[in-house]
Amino acid sequence: MNMNRRGFLGAVGRVSIGAAASVAGGAGAANAAKADHIPKWGMVVDLRKCIGCQACTVACIMENDVPEDAFRTHVSVYELVKDGQDPAMVMLPRLCNHCENPPCVPVCPVEATFKAESGEVLVDASRCVGCAYCVQACPYDARFINHETQTADKCTFCFHRTQAGLLPACVETCVGGARNFGDLNDPESAVSKLLAENEVSVLRPEMQTNPNVYYIGLEDVLSGRVAGEAAYRPAHTAESVAHAEGV
Amino acid sequence: MSTRRNILKGAVATGALGTFGVGYAGTLEKVAKGHWSGERPLNNITGNSAAPEFTVTPDGDVELNPNQQVSYTMCIGCTTMCGVRVRIDKEKGKVVRVAGNPYNPLSTTDFLPYGTPVQESFRAIAQAGEGDGQRHRSTACGRGNAVLQQIDNPRRVLKPLKRVGPRGSGEWQTISFEQLVEEVVEGGDLFGEGPVAGLRDIRDLETPINPDAPEFGPRANGLAMLSSVNDGRDEINIRFLKQAFGSQNYARHGSYCGGSYRSGSGAMFDDVKGMPHAKPDFGNAEFILFVGTAPGNAGNPFKRIGALVAEARSDGKLDYVVVDPVLNNSDSGPSGARSRWVPITPGTDGALAMGMMRWMFENGRINAAYLAQPGKEAAEAAGEANWTNATHLVIVDETHPRAGRFLRASDLGQEISGERYSDADPFMVASDSGPVPAAASAAPLFFDGVAETTDGPVAVRTSLTLLRDEAMSKNLEEYSAACGIPAETIADLADRFTSHGRRAAVSSHGGMMSGSGFYNAYALMMLNTLIGNLNWKGGTLVLGGWFPDNKGPAYDLATFPGAVKPSGLPLGRNVPYEKTSEFKAKKAAGKAWPADGPWYPNAPGLGTEWFSSMVNGYPYGIEALILRNANPVYGIAGIGHLVERLKDPAVLPLIIAIDPFINESSALADYIVPDTVMYESWGFAKPWNGVPSKVTTARWPVMEPKVSKDADGATIDSDLFLIAVAKRIGLPGFGDAAIPDADGTLHPLNRPEDWYLRGAVNVATIGTPVPEASDVDMEFSGVTRIRPDLEAVLKPEEWRRAATVFAKGGRYENLDKSYSGDLGAHTWAKPMQVYNEGVGAARNAMTGQRSPGTPAWREACFADGSKVAEIYPRSDWPVKVISFKSPLQNSYSVGAEVLLRIVAANPVNIGRALAEAHGISTGDMVRLTTPGGSLESVAIVRDGVAPDTVAIEHGYGHRAFGARDITIDGEPMPADPRLATGTLQNDLGLLDPTRDKTGVWVDPISGASVRQALPARLEKIA
Repeated sequence: MNMNRRGFLGAVGRVSIGAAASVAGGAGAANAAKADHIPKWGMVVDLRKCIGCQACTVACIMENDVPEDAFRTHVSVYELVKDGQDPAMVMLPRLCNHCENPPCVPVCPVEATFKAESGEVLVDASRCVGCAYCVQACPYDARFINHETQTADKCTFCFHRTQAGLLPACVETCVGGARNFGDLNDPESAVSKLLAENEVSVLRPEMQTNPNVYYIGLEDVLSGRVAGEAAYRPAHTAESVAHAEGV
Repeated sequence: MSTRRNILKGAVATGALGTFGVGYAGTLEKVAKGHWSGERPLNNITGNSAAPEFTVTPDGDVELNPNQQVSYTMCIGCTTMCGVRVRIDKEKGKVVRVAGNPYNPLSTTDFLPYGTPVQESFRAIAQAGEGDGQRHRSTACGRGNAVLQQIDNPRRVLKPLKRVGPRGSGEWQTISFEQLVEEVVEGGDLFGEGPVAGLRDIRDLETPINPDAPEFGPRANGLAMLSSVNDGRDEINIRFLKQAFGSQNYARHGSYCGGSYRSGSGAMFDDVKGMPHAKPDFGNAEFILFVGTAPGNAGNPFKRIGALVAEARSDGKLDYVVVDPVLNNSDSGPSGARSRWVPITPGTDGALAMGMMRWMFENGRINAAYLAQPGKEAAEAAGEANWTNATHLVIVDETHPRAGRFLRASDLGQEISGERYSDADPFMVASDSGPVPAAASAAPLFFDGVAETTDGPVAVRTSLTLLRDEAMSKNLEEYSAACGIPAETIADLADRFTSHGRRAAVSSHGGMMSGSGFYNAYALMMLNTLIGNLNWKGGTLVLGGWFPDNKGPAYDLATFPGAVKPSGLPLGRNVPYEKTSEFKAKKAAGKAWPADGPWYPNAPGLGTEWFSSMVNGYPYGIEALILRNANPVYGIAGIGHLVERLKDPAVLPLIIAIDPFINESSALADYIVPDTVMYESWGFAKPWNGVPSKVTTARWPVMEPKVSKDADGATIDSDLFLIAVAKRIGLPGFGDAAIPDADGTLHPLNRPEDWYLRGAVNVATIGTPVPEASDVDMEFSGVTRIRPDLEAVLKPEEWRRAATVFAKGGRYENLDKSYSGDLGAHTWAKPMQVYNEGVGAARNAMTGQRSPGTPAWREACFADGSKVAEIYPRSDWPVKVISFKSPLQNSYSVGAEVLLRIVAANPVNIGRALAEAHGISTGDMVRLTTPGGSLESVAIVRDGVAPDTVAIEHGYGHRAFGARDITIDGEPMPADPRLATGTLQNDLGLLDPTRDKTGVWVDPISGASVRQALPARLEKIA
């Protein structure tokens, strides 16, 4: 498999015009420019900034031609009622966590799913037999069987875009600025700084998956809540929430 | 119960978001692949993901993908009209995806300096850009990402349609553009139903439309045009209807959108026709009270407010409270105490505001230094950025002929150098020696006494005294009982609001569309004036302005030789009743009041009231209606009661809809003129509000329009239709000699390009002209597509500057032009009206009574002054129904079907206590009944709904757009039930039972339709 950048983009024709340098890149970009630097992609979602507009959800569908009955990412909307407090809205953007220790990888009988160089958990559709073991293994319900291709499908962190020096579609269009994406291997990157400066948490820490998707402002009550009740579905109280298993 | 199944399905689909892949069911056992059972994706790793539009190397080189085009243009997926970047697959002629234009403040909080070359703008939003490409992040919202689907919507109208059966039958035939223009201009027996007057005949500037009442103007007023929103093409509509055709009757959708909010604000800003308003300075305010508006959930500018509030509550200083009957996305649980929701009884916002005012008066928390300045000079001397009429004396003597008007110097017999009661006749303020002209120093805030006028002693009070009297007329407990907010919470909100100097603000909008809407809005806005926050950083700011397309140094698109000045009173009765022959006759007969129907002297053009006028012929009937992308039949609460009358050609002989879709209103048309959509069309828009710097967003056809062409090969759209009609009638301002340039030379207006390209030159050359676009700029932005037009239409020295405007999707002042020291850079210079004389002096046409000229809390009433709660008592109608805006759907987005994948329906939101009282659980089927109608839907039981309230999300319950069967040229196009999903709250709207001449319930001052706080009954039916 040719996973290097040029190889991946080989099919894309290009017109090249040099850009002037007045919109300066940050130190992160300079770091990333070093020939031997391999980025490790991660996302930091600041829940305080999510407005639940679903721009990410729709952008992902458009960018990735996600089939009718599935999502690679979406925003769960909850009305959260805690004892003695007024109800409050919580929006929880969800996607593949691109785990350091992805439970979906070892269960694949044909080694179709794998960790790529920059940490993305990907599926090689030419190998996938559609057995759905990975779908069952994922603690975040982030995978589905694409009914068109009959193979496992999921968020790729917009692999095709990051290889082109661009950002994932969901990040580009995040209205509230909740989704932040970048290189966790670069201490000067925006995401590294967010991790250094904020208390963060991950979904389902008890699964020991070591996600590369972090959350600022995630209530414990929601950290396990991945099976998901509906947007505007019955409010749940802190007491009643069970850490749901994948569907 | 198919309805139930549909809605339940929606609710479940919403819930199923939590499972990512709904399609996966059970364990699949596929031992070996053998051959690939599915379809092979484009790429084994990234599936069918689109190829990147360009590549940005770590060094910052931008390499375009030659198969795609990226252009900066405008979204018209809602009324905000954001600047967007549209990515097009050139070969397929399809839009791949849409995101934001990083130059545009409606899509970008930290927008790029205008001088940034286009290719650098691409780098700024890539990994190589600042903040790893996220500092200048520029976005499209959920709907903005989805509405590209409208271009290829299979239900789009692509050819002119003419009805075949009776009006509203759903049977159509396609006709040529030329036939369309001929028939609507020349008229005749168009439908086999008898003769129909054409526009040529109706365009009669001599014959009175009503021979008994010449004040209504000529027969030409019998053509009315209802536009939805200024989508950047309104100038050409107005040129056609008013200046060329000579009709007075042009209106937009405001009177069934947020009209009462705008009217209440307009009263304070002293312009009830233009209705100015200010918005909080979201990024710098320390406390904002949102009442009946939901930042980040909906509103305008949607994304900008959402992003600024999200940032301010996370990284900035903002604490805010959302007062709303229903909890929505404006709240942020993860932001903790910085964001709070306070439920309120629907339609009672004025009680909250007046209660807060009472507390502020009692606790000395008004900005006396600001309010005491009686004029501009005094304000400047005191270092104020604005002033008010708080100190001006108002005649309160009910027997005085000028009751409700300001006391003027001439009333005291003082000599003035101009006409009486003109600007030259000074307003009077109190002093130790009696009333004196307002001067360049502070004046007493409160005075309640007598002025010695030439007519004898007259009782007068200052504006602020009248406001205080009104605020003190009820105590906090009474206000609390009215609005359902505890008295201590009202006091707490007033305390918090007044604890930040001028860095606090109140914001409002669509929640004001209740029967008390005008006064509710006026009261809420007055809170801003009482702390003097207008024009101050962190307070409230007005729109920064724009670079207008219609009036610039190069071309005059606003006027032309031979333009008509329309005359006569408008169809919406938004003028004083006293101007009518009816009033004079009734007065002469000894009983001037009531009029035969309500009049609204303090309102703008009222599309809502047009429909009452049309079906009753009062004050006059019309002969033809043009609906331009407007959908009043979906949008006006209660209009369903009038639809059968509208279907009768004897009531309204000709209806022409200009619309890309068959919506609930164009479905009733005789002809439908197809229109371009989204990124196919032209236009220049300024923001509605909320941007402190100058913004002109440009829209241009970045792709070949799908709509068909006329015989000359021009794209059929709204503009081409108006041009063709005008030319066929021979109206001025269109044709070969129509647009004057700076030298007075006349240029043609035969195609939309003639107009918009010249408009672009104006935008480009106002002030310091923008630089000329290079070939590289044009290549990167896709402007090469329209380069031949630019070169053909414009002068050699003009076209490259116009190209820059299109290449950057508009023209924008730089971010650093937003503020000037502690003030907004673009300030509002005219005074705030603590007392609005026009409102306070006007007599209600139905009652003959005056209404308060200050903000007030008044229960909702009908046209004859009867309280709604007395006609429809709480004992029979214990519930209040409201509608609320959706983050995803609006009234015309349902065809972007991806949105239904996310939220598939709009179950009714019921508060927990109310639900329990009726034994209702989530998923149950309920019936809501008002005096105006009934609907059945599925219930969602929530804690986030005010007591005794049911809330319905807007944008569902369609009967058109594909929700019903239609036939075109004999070919059936069956309905898609998904498009009919959910319910429409407007179906519950009321007729006003006190109106003899049928009309929907409207606010008595603003004339805007009432959809909030409808009295209702709730029952569980399954």
